[in-house]
Amino acid sequence: MKLLTHNLLSSHVRGVGPRGFPLRLQASEVRVNPVEFNPDFVARMIPKVEWSALLEAAETLHLTEVPSAPAEGYERDEEFLRKMHHVLLEVDVLEGTLQCPESGRLFPISRGIPNMLLNDEETET
Amino acid sequence: MDQEAAQLEKQHVHDVYESTAPFFSDLQSKAWPRVRQFLQEQRPGSLVADIGCGTGKYLKVNSQVHTLGCDHCGPLVEIARNRGCEVMVCDNLNLPFRDQGFDTIISIGVIHHFSTKQRRIRAIKEMARVLAPGGQLMIYVWAMEQKHRHFERQDVLVPWNRALCSPAFPEPSQSGRTRQGGHAERNHPYHSPCSECSYSVCFKERGDSKQSHNTGHYMARTCCANISKEGEEENRFYNTLGKSFRSWFFSRSLDESFLRKQVDRGRPLSNPGWADNTVSVQPSRHSSLDLGRCEPMSTQGQTLDEEVFEEPATQTNVQRLRAPGAQNHRGGHRGGTGGNGEGPGGPESRVGAGSLEEGHPPAGTRLRKSSTAGSTESIPEGTIPVAPRQREALDASSFMRYYHVFREGELCGLLTEHVAELRILSAGNDHGNWCLIAEKRGTD
Repeated sequence: MKLLTHNLLSSHVRGVGPRGFPLRLQASEVRVNPVEFNPDFVARMIPKVEWSALLEAAETLHLTEVPSAPAEGYERDEEFLRKMHHVLLEVDVLEGTLQCPESGRLFPISRGIPNMLLNDEETET
Repeated sequence: MDQEAAQLEKQHVHDVYESTAPFFSDLQSKAWPRVRQFLQEQRPGSLVADIGCGTGKYLKVNSQVHTLGCDHCGPLVEIARNRGCEVMVCDNLNLPFRDQGFDTIISIGVIHHFSTKQRRIRAIKEMARVLAPGGQLMIYVWAMEQKHRHFERQDVLVPWNRALCSPAFPEPSQSGRTRQGGHAERNHPYHSPCSECSYSVCFKERGDSKQSHNTGHYMARTCCANISKEGEEENRFYNTLGKSFRSWFFSRSLDESFLRKQVDRGRPLSNPGWADNTVSVQPSRHSSLDLGRCEPMSTQGQTLDEEVFEEPATQTNVQRLRAPGAQNHRGGHRGGTGGNGEGPGGPESRVGAGSLEEGHPPAGTRLRKSSTAGSTESIPEGTIPVAPRQREALDASSFMRYYHVFREGELCGLLTEHVAELRILSAGNDHGNWCLIAEKRGTD
């Protein structure tokens, strides 16, 4: 699971609503996958990222490259873009858990795949 | 109702995909061109979600966008992962995403697996929720109106016969000679032409075919060859037949009223095996195939609920089982789903989906046939005897997938009436599917 994916994930346990974001990440196995660097692509991703959630996840994984906010002119800052490329797209959580901050519910990550299925009792429907 | 719906979907969608996923690993299923085009038209840097991605055939179509594949079926998603895709397991009805996170969403052959209107609407609303304002959603669903076959009802169970599609599971009763049409390529049975008649087993025309949930509707049709020629003894014939034609016919119509009736009766909805009495059998109305000792089936009227498919009247081929004289399908729609979208009267249209001229093998238990909504107690005359051994094989090798096939206008109707946050940009029919592209309202 990439951190860009984590940034989109939210708990959908019944009653939790927006308090289910972001999921608390815990990783027991992490890998780095080289991905071809595309600066335009990364630059376009930046505005879509929920920054504090990314900071939190990066800190959990001991990734120190992430600044507290994108700086002015980040689109042309190659060093910044390369760092964000690495953090968002190359870091891959293989084993771990994602925890709903409101309900405490744990969702597993196995072989790089998060499983977000809920039991019937937990779902909104 | 919702619980029953969930249970039905568990048995006839999720469990089937999970069980059949191993057969998809090498399947080079082709992406629908219009879906590919839609993805390639998305702005570079877009965040794209493929909800119901299956083995991930759309996840790498556009390298300029970031695509996340999601599916309910873990085994399918594992296959996509092994191809290097970013994927996850989740439920379309409860998408685990924050609001407005995605620029683009595709839902290709997915929401026709939801068994109630409310669930279908919810699936669409969930996708709309996680779509950014101005973002686009493309939906494909299987159409009720088909060129070469005719669904009698909108709610159907479609069998998929593993025996036809997997060379890894040879049927002990079949010799190589009678093996279902030339599975020359391992792991690509869908593309293998039959050696005898050059018609493909399953979907040769899959190249143009709609594929539901990526891996397709494995309606287990087959071609003529292994049925006819060598003068096989009755049992072998029937056995061969059993694993091909017969499984094709065992589709039961299912609709919400039926569900409700089951609920009212307090009856368990689903059956562990199709051999149970609620699985209906396509009756034979004509005996176009002389099976020697076999007697033609008793004929039934057209009005039986469980007749899922009717064959349009096409040319007779004595080696085929077909129902001549079935009503013609209204024209104007392209191709069959999972079938012949392009070719003239393609092979599968002659496969006897509409008839079941099976004889009576010497021994056997009787498969009871029952109608669906409204008369579940009755056992109409005309039952299909199945030898116990064969029945077991069929039990083990048949999977039934639930579909709600959409009528023209139905998909658009769902959006216009129930999902106000989406505005339809375009809609049409593509290879036997109703499809649309909609935009999330609220662009600044």
